[in-house]
Amino acid sequence: MKPRRMTAWTSLIALAMGIALLPACGPKTDEGGTTGGDTKTTGSTTSGASSGTSGTTSSRKAPTASGNTASGDTIKIGLVASLNGELKPWGDDCEKGARLAVEEFNAAGGVNGKKIELRIEDSASKAEQGRSATDKLIAEGCLGIIGEVASGITLQMANSCFDKGVPIVAVGATRVDITDIGSNVFRVCYTDDFQGPVMAKFAYDDLGLRKVAIMTDQAQPYSTGLSDNFRKKFVELGGEIVDEQFYRSPEDKQFGPQLQQIKEKAPVGLFLSGYFTEVGAIARQAKEAGLNVKMLGGDGWDSAELNTSGGAAIVGGFFCNHYNNEEARPEVQQFLSKWQAKYNSKPATTMGALGYDATMLVCDALKRASALDSKALTDAIEATENFPGVSGMITLKGNNGNPPKRALVVEVTSTGQKFAKAFEPGSL
Amino acid sequence: MVHQLLPIAAVDFNTLPQQLVLGIGIGAVYALVALGYTMVYGVLKLINFAHAEVFMLGAYTALFTAWYLGFSPQSLQALERESSWLNLLIMLLASMVICAIIGVIIERFAYRPMRSQPRIAILITAIGVSLLLQYGGALFLPVSPPPSIDERVNPYRGAYTITLSRPSDRLLGQKEELERQYQESNVAFEKQLEKEKSRFDLSPQGIALRNAKQEAERALRKVTDEIAASGRELKLPRGQMIMLGATLILMLILRHLVLYTRTGRAMRAASHDFDTASLMGISVDKIVTVTFIIGSALAGAGAMMQATFIGTPLTTFYGVSLGVKAFVAAVLGGIGNIPGAVLGAMVLAIAETLVVWADGSKWKDAIAFVILIAVLLFKPGGLLGSSKVEKV
Repeated sequence: MKPRRMTAWTSLIALAMGIALLPACGPKTDEGGTTGGDTKTTGSTTSGASSGTSGTTSSRKAPTASGNTASGDTIKIGLVASLNGELKPWGDDCEKGARLAVEEFNAAGGVNGKKIELRIEDSASKAEQGRSATDKLIAEGCLGIIGEVASGITLQMANSCFDKGVPIVAVGATRVDITDIGSNVFRVCYTDDFQGPVMAKFAYDDLGLRKVAIMTDQAQPYSTGLSDNFRKKFVELGGEIVDEQFYRSPEDKQFGPQLQQIKEKAPVGLFLSGYFTEVGAIARQAKEAGLNVKMLGGDGWDSAELNTSGGAAIVGGFFCNHYNNEEARPEVQQFLSKWQAKYNSKPATTMGALGYDATMLVCDALKRASALDSKALTDAIEATENFPGVSGMITLKGNNGNPPKRALVVEVTSTGQKFAKAFEPGSL
Repeated sequence: MVHQLLPIAAVDFNTLPQQLVLGIGIGAVYALVALGYTMVYGVLKLINFAHAEVFMLGAYTALFTAWYLGFSPQSLQALERESSWLNLLIMLLASMVICAIIGVIIERFAYRPMRSQPRIAILITAIGVSLLLQYGGALFLPVSPPPSIDERVNPYRGAYTITLSRPSDRLLGQKEELERQYQESNVAFEKQLEKEKSRFDLSPQGIALRNAKQEAERALRKVTDEIAASGRELKLPRGQMIMLGATLILMLILRHLVLYTRTGRAMRAASHDFDTASLMGISVDKIVTVTFIIGSALAGAGAMMQATFIGTPLTTFYGVSLGVKAFVAAVLGGIGNIPGAVLGAMVLAIAETLVVWADGSKWKDAIAFVILIAVLLFKPGGLLGSSKVEKV
């Protein structure tokens, strides 16, 4: 028998695994390659954008690379979506929305008769894979990139797009500093310095909460950014953040210890800034721990699965969303009937509409572009004004890539979600 | 925040018992999975990296069984039904049986043909099987949206409450008065609501009444919280208690099996010296199969319990992080040692919980692994592992 050598060998592997996990343990807010610079710019943009939207001219760096030029019979654009991994529900909807938009645009004649070709790559819900998918799409000659839903993945993609001079339109990435990367980075959704304060104001005024605790997913730049923005506004309004606890997705499954710490501080509300994949379980375990609080969150909650994983505990919670299927606006109803015709269902999450909007916006910009290359496309996207998206009017001109958008607060019911209150941009 | 800079300054000894209870509950799942690692290692000297994926498949089996028992998303909307312990038992047995079968298949077709090869080859095979199940599983298992087991299948929701000290009744009179005030303001607001467009779009009068109601609610809540804080109670989450009980029972059965049965003796012999054991007439193939059956069934039990009682949505990566933690727990306790696996799991889980207790949830995993490194530096064989010097 060789116990000594064997165990030493195994210990070594265990140590290696432990060490491999270690660097992933610190706060990972600066995931993008723009470490350091990011944190500085966050502060300045926050103050600028939370007072509505700064109407100043773009102060962002312009990429130096020239990007791609269209060749052949079609114009290629690329979509990166999470077609695998934890965020698959969003990736699937995003892909469906983008396909729908391109089909519709091509059927209407395309760009002066030239058809648009949508290339799709999978990010597998991972930041690094999102980046390599972006590189691949750019190498294949895509003029512009669409994606992603998660801020952590988008940060990586936007850095890659900046290096290569290709415009990128993020679908649902709400973290503030993403668009600071360069003047080629845009999004079609609101930012966390709007949705965080919206939830803070809603919690303070409409729900009358004064003592709130926060639970942050430190593996997600989205979550850390949203928590900061919520806290800032809530404290400014006069509320008190009694505690902030952290967890890591997707590793953590049991949140009892963190919830116990929160319970000791006796809050009346709990702000869960993470994704739906953990929020349901946290709500369930909070109830089990005897924590009697109102649950609040951001657009990361948006999934039909929230109800099964959260059960009765999540019902009565409120979160911030981009649009609502019940809205009477013609854009929404037309979009739903088109979706119904193509997929014979309703979009399961808002990412269907945002994916559609982002793709349509790029197609529309290609039509307006002075030439069929990345540079002209970037300028055309920057010039977008009053684009009638499903999720609301989108104006990118002079907004540093962050369109002022409406935010809807919705309530979780036992069968889905119910509209509660709309916040117009600049209303805070 | 000062307490983030000085994590130790914020500890509250009143919450320590509760945190320990939670830590032991978390340790129970780690232990079930760690037992599987340790058993296979004990016999084959193989780190079965696919074990975490067997765990994941066990969680899916529990999900499908729950659906079959009538707790599928479609049927739930139509009917409200009560579950019973029988449903849980069926789910548990289904997970254990299916996992055992999967474990045996993996051993038969992936590991056995490699047994005569160098150990590194079989280790790589294990990683290969693990990746195959993670990514291949996504092709035929439901992952979008990630499904989770409905909590209603579990009749043992909630927690047992043990009162350590009673809340004082000094404030009870005050509470009654505040409750009455709250009810009054609530009635006034609800009445006003009938004239309003929506609860969240109020006229100035509605806002005034709402603010009055919120004011009364806050005052009431403040007193309620004060009353609650004056007493102490210990909550034992039923789900975690069941997991802990099941883990201990399974560990005792396992210990009995290994120490006092013929199969167990054969298993120990094979563990001691594989080749000599086979020369002595022990069918080592059979013993390896039995080992995989037991280890995988334990993973299945852990998976069913975690997926049912804890409630995070399932993906094919469900087992990955738990697999790493359980493997670390097995090494910490001394790999190949059955009580060691349980001890290692408990130490790891309690360490993690204590870090959170000291308000360091940001550093939870980091500190747990620092503990592992520290233990292994001084005791490379693990807490209960043998550290005999090898005789050549």
